[in-house]
Amino acid sequence: MAQKSQSHEADPEAVVEFLQRNLPFKELDSETLTDLARRCTIDFFPKDTLILHQDVSEVTHLYLIQRGGVKVYLTDSDGAVTLKDFRGEGGYFGALGIIRGSKANLNVETVEDTFCFLLEKEALLSLIQNNPQVAQYYLKQFSEDVVCTAYNELRSRKVKVQSQNAFYLFSLEIQDVIKRVPEIVHCSQTIQQAAARMSELAIGSVLVQDQSGDIGGIVTDKDLRAKVVAMGTGYDAPVATIMSSPLKTISAHSVCFDALLQMMNEQVHHLAVERAGEIIGVVTSHDIMVHQGTSPLYLFREIVAQRKIEGLYSLSQKVPLVVRGLIEEGAKANNITRMITVLNDHIVYRLLTLLHEEMGPEPYPFCWLMLGSEGRKEQTFKTDQDNALIYQTPAEDWEEIKTSKLYFRRFGNRAIQHLEACGYPLCKGEMMASNPKWRKPFAVWRDYFDRWISAPEPEEVLNATIFFDFRPGYGQVALGERLRDFLAAQAPKKGIFLMHLAKDCLQSRPPLTFFRNFVVEKDGKYKNRLDIKTRGLVPFVDFARLLSLKHGVRETNTLDRLQALADRDCISRELYTETREAYEFQMQLRLVHQLRMMESGQVPHNHVDPGELSELEKQTLRESFAVIGRIQAYVKDEFRVVE
Amino acid sequence: MKLWPWTRVPKHQTLQRNEELFSKFDQTSSINSYEFIVFDTELTGLNPRYDEIISIGAVRVRNLRIVSGENFFTYVRPNKDLPKDSTLIHRITPQQIEDAPEMNEVLPEFVDFCGKALLVGHYVALDMAFLNKALRKHMGGIMRNPCVDSMKLAQAYQEHRVRNSFGKVNIGISYNLAKLAREYDLPLFAQHDAMEDALQTAYLFLYLVRNLYEAGYYTLKDFYLAGRIGPRIF
Repeated sequence: MAQKSQSHEADPEAVVEFLQRNLPFKELDSETLTDLARRCTIDFFPKDTLILHQDVSEVTHLYLIQRGGVKVYLTDSDGAVTLKDFRGEGGYFGALGIIRGSKANLNVETVEDTFCFLLEKEALLSLIQNNPQVAQYYLKQFSEDVVCTAYNELRSRKVKVQSQNAFYLFSLEIQDVIKRVPEIVHCSQTIQQAAARMSELAIGSVLVQDQSGDIGGIVTDKDLRAKVVAMGTGYDAPVATIMSSPLKTISAHSVCFDALLQMMNEQVHHLAVERAGEIIGVVTSHDIMVHQGTSPLYLFREIVAQRKIEGLYSLSQKVPLVVRGLIEEGAKANNITRMITVLNDHIVYRLLTLLHEEMGPEPYPFCWLMLGSEGRKEQTFKTDQDNALIYQTPAEDWEEIKTSKLYFRRFGNRAIQHLEACGYPLCKGEMMASNPKWRKPFAVWRDYFDRWISAPEPEEVLNATIFFDFRPGYGQVALGERLRDFLAAQAPKKGIFLMHLAKDCLQSRPPLTFFRNFVVEKDGKYKNRLDIKTRGLVPFVDFARLLSLKHGVRETNTLDRLQALADRDCISRELYTETREAYEFQMQLRLVHQLRMMESGQVPHNHVDPGELSELEKQTLRESFAVIGRIQAYVKDEFRVVE
Repeated sequence: MKLWPWTRVPKHQTLQRNEELFSKFDQTSSINSYEFIVFDTELTGLNPRYDEIISIGAVRVRNLRIVSGENFFTYVRPNKDLPKDSTLIHRITPQQIEDAPEMNEVLPEFVDFCGKALLVGHYVALDMAFLNKALRKHMGGIMRNPCVDSMKLAQAYQEHRVRNSFGKVNIGISYNLAKLAREYDLPLFAQHDAMEDALQTAYLFLYLVRNLYEAGYYTLKDFYLAGRIGPRIF
């Protein structure tokens, strides 16, 4: 080897800089880093080079990707290939083989021209020995990998994976399931009195207190059916004669699974919940199943059965539980947002029905309109209220007009309050039925739309885009449909209006260099995060809305709109397919992101941290952003927008 | 030179060793068995007759990998004042080179550092002209290390790409180092700094050699014939 000259030696600054930016090295002091950098070599692999060969390659180096990307995949004994991951700049591979001293456990192949820093095996091992945080970093990574691998292997063997939801049964305690303090009747009360109480409270069971004040038994719907009606027992008999006794109890600290097991063993559906010798409530199998949250059906039933508006408040909180199950079962984002929408629709429908009953008949037929994401059936967890009210134009009579204004004002205001209590935040722009501006007769609404599309002030049009996504939600649906007829017939003729929307479509610049250099917020609360809604989803929504208005398509859902446009040959099949896929992927990413936030007790938002994405997700995300560029080019061409 | 024998400088020991190293040189081995020194110089101007080297940067490539712990970098104090127009290009100021070693101190170390490696540079003929002029002056000879010109490799690779791409490749590309780096999407380094440029050239060199290797060039000789590279013709 050639003699090195101490005086003319230069630090490998490029390597040091790279290490400084990447975990776990960035936590090391600069001396260690420089030393490490000196022990690195730099290698280049053209695209499609197999760097590590599963079960064949000796792993002699840790590979750190400086530029480019690799795919990591498994080949099983039958030669079937399972793609595991993509790794990009800052990613590494080879560590596991070095630490275990085994051959490569995966294939690693470049998908782009790739430059890597190679750290010798010995250097990595001594680094790990002297720096516990580095060891910890790799250990953590491996355990995640191992868990992931185990999961995939399970799936590939077609063994049914136990859903996360099943763990609820083993972790959720009974005391967190019970809904209310127990209802208790005295044993001397009559059967009829007890039944009346149950009906009044809409509950399925009451506890019975004996003379000494202890809880002696329970009366359920089933007892009333089997022991009273079927056997002709007199309604005046004391309730104690039909109660089930002794009372079956379970400890408040038991987990749900134990409760279900006990119910099955004893063939009952109700258990009294005991804590420190006191009965604190009753739990039913139904309560547990609802909490388990896998089945949307349970939630439907609960919503539809609700007799009081207040009862709906807590039900809307259960939507995420249902959705979680769907995501785990691999439902596509579009199906999930539709499910969220359907559930929310039902809550709104039930709420307005009860409110309508409470307020009495309306002076004129009306229709509740849902706007924005609700109108497009694309709701996620964080959904502001966007709604409006349209009613049949009253006769030209001062009294009539006044009465209808008054009625719909009260209706709108109350509905909004109840919806807020259900957990739907108020719209910051006050685009809600509580705002008199958005609570108007049909004629006024038609004029609104006519003004928006005929003599458009750019500002006004852009602020009103959510109105173009309206959908009837409750009441006289025909009113909403007539408005849609008007829009579908008129909008395609309004070139200037469409041009404004087209220009707006071109506003958002997609982060094309995402994979290399995350385009993220520079500062503020969401520093270093990517706003997936405004950067990613909005351009798709705007695109679908614009073309639907141009071609008179009545659908409001973005994917339905795209489908309708493709069916009518307004856009090519190819553009349709890639737009659909890109949009669905981004929706999925947002949903999972928001679900994770909610599960850790945060208020969900749209700002995704690119660092938390897997390489596979990053890769797909980059591709989906490229599609935005293509739809913008299409809009520019189609509407001849001159920038 | 023979006209004025009294000006002759006796050949330096290091250069004698250098000559022995390359007296028998085998160019039929696989390209990856050779060691390379990729280097770049910064100059006071472009004319070897008047101008001088003021900085040398070099990186070692062994097993076709850049060995980042074995870099060579130095400023060189020139005999004449540093012209301002050159300072504007490479940003080396007279103050920076005030305490730098002179060429006669630097050269033996550089020759030693290169050892039996082949020299690689971007348009290497220019660097070699300056280097050999200085070597003659201070050490009474020249380096015998065969040279590889990354620019010529790039031309060879470009021809290969054009032949195999059916028109998808830019034909009229520039062979400027920075532009090539961008064309091939390599990690980019600062320009006009001998160390950074050497590193940039090394990345380019790896890129080209690996790709040409894929294209069927194996031995050093293949590479020579591919680009008719190097000022020395065997």
